[in-house]
Amino acid sequence: MATIEVDRDRCEGHGLCEQTAPEVYRLDDDGEVELLVGEVPPELLVTAEAGARVCPVAALRVRR
Amino acid sequence: MTRASSLRRVVVAGGSIAAVTAAEGLRLQGFDGDITLLAEEDHPPYSRVPLSKGILAGREALGSATLPPVAGDVTVRLGATAARLHEEHRRVVLADGEEVPYDGLVIATGARARRLAGPGQTGECVVRTRDDATRLAARLDTAGSVIVVGAGFLGMEIASTCAVLGKTVTVVDRDPPLRRLVGEWLADLVVQAARERGVEFALAPDGVQLLGRPEVQAVDCGDRIATADVIVSAVGDLPNTEWLADSRLPLHGGLVVDERCRVAPDIVAAGDVTVSRTHGGPYRRSPHWTSAVVQGQLAAAALVHGRETPLPRPDPYYWTEQFGLDIKISGEIPHGQPPTVLAGDPRQGSALLQWSLSDRPVAAVAINHRLPVVTLKRLGGRAAGPPVMP
Repeated sequence: MATIEVDRDRCEGHGLCEQTAPEVYRLDDDGEVELLVGEVPPELLVTAEAGARVCPVAALRVRR
Repeated sequence: MTRASSLRRVVVAGGSIAAVTAAEGLRLQGFDGDITLLAEEDHPPYSRVPLSKGILAGREALGSATLPPVAGDVTVRLGATAARLHEEHRRVVLADGEEVPYDGLVIATGARARRLAGPGQTGECVVRTRDDATRLAARLDTAGSVIVVGAGFLGMEIASTCAVLGKTVTVVDRDPPLRRLVGEWLADLVVQAARERGVEFALAPDGVQLLGRPEVQAVDCGDRIATADVIVSAVGDLPNTEWLADSRLPLHGGLVVDERCRVAPDIVAAGDVTVSRTHGGPYRRSPHWTSAVVQGQLAAAALVHGRETPLPRPDPYYWTEQFGLDIKISGEIPHGQPPTVLAGDPRQGSALLQWSLSDRPVAAVAINHRLPVVTLKRLGGRAAGPPVMP
C-alpha cells in the first residue's frame, strides 16, 4: 500500500494539498500539514498524488 | 451525458504546474484516454517557486524543485516545443515539423521572462527557468554587487537572496517597490526590512536603459547611472502565444479564456499563458502558483464536462518570502489605508492583519505568523464553501 512522506522542513503551510485533497491532507492550527490516512487506500491514491503535486515547495511525496 | 466519450486523445501543450495539474485533473474527472504532455524544457516538470529563494541561495539542490513524477499513464515528452496549431486538422505542430493529433487540447505554454537588453547586448540575467537560476547563481559566485531592475515580488525576492549572500544590492523600478501589488502600508514595512539589510532603492519614473555593449554593465536610471557586477531584470513576463499567431484563437495580451478556462470547442487553457476578464472589464493576467493550479483543474473539468462544469469561488491567495518576512496574502489589499492588527505586532516582525472596506473584510495577511490558510482566507473575506453551481 502507498504511503505519504512529508518534508516538514520544506512545508510552508500554503494548504494547496488540503484544498485539492481534503480527504487526505489537513492543516492543523499551526498551519502544519497533517495526514488523515496512514497508508493510502487504493481509491484515494490518485487524489493523494494530486494533492502532493500542487505543493509549491514539493514537500510531499506519495510512495507507491 | 458528458462529452468525455468523444475525447480519446488529449494533448497538453506545456510542462509546468498548470499543464501537469490539467493532466492529473483529466484523470480525476474520469478521462481514461491518451494524455500527452508536450514540455518545451528538457527538465522534468518542476516548481519555479524556490528558484528565486532557496535554489538561488544555494540552500536547496536544483532537483529538489522537481514535482512528483506524473503517473505512468501520461506520456511526458521533454524538449517538445509547440510551434504551430492546425485547428481545422486538430494537430499541434512541433518545432521539428512533427504533427501531434488531438481530440482535446489544453494550452498551458506559460510565459517567458521579459528582457530589457537591446540587440547586441549580453549578460542580462533573469529568473524564470531552472537554467536561468543556475546561470545567475554561477554569476553571483564571483560578484560583489548586483542591480535588480523591477521591484515586484520576484525582483524583491532576488534582491533578498542576493543580500543574504552578502552582495551589495540596488533595486530599481519606475514605481515605488511593491506598492502596486500590496498597497503602501505593507510595501513600506517590507522596504524598511530591506533597507535594514543594506539594500538600496532607486526610483526611475521614466524607466531604465541597460548600458554596456556587448556585456551590460550599468543601468541608466534617468537621474543617475548605477553600475554593478551583475544586472538582473525582473520586469514581468510575456505569455507564450506566438505559436498561436496563425490560429483563430482569441489573443489579447495572452490567450483569452472564459470563466471555465475554455478557449474554443475542445480547446481549454490554463496558467501564465492566459488572460481573462469579468463583466467586460479589462483583460487581466493572474500569474501565480495558485491560479495555475485552480485553472489547471478547471480546464480539465471543462474539457470533459463543458458548460456543466461548476465554477470555483474566486480565491486569490499568494505569498512571498523576503528580508526575513514570510508573507501570506488572501484577497486584494485596498490601497491607502492601514490594516487592523488581529494578532502580534508588525514592528516586531510577526503579525496577523486584516483590511476591511465598509466594515466588510476584503484582505488578510499573515507575516511570520503560522495559521491554517483556510483561516486566513476566512479573515480575508473568502468564505470557504462548495463550488458555485451554474
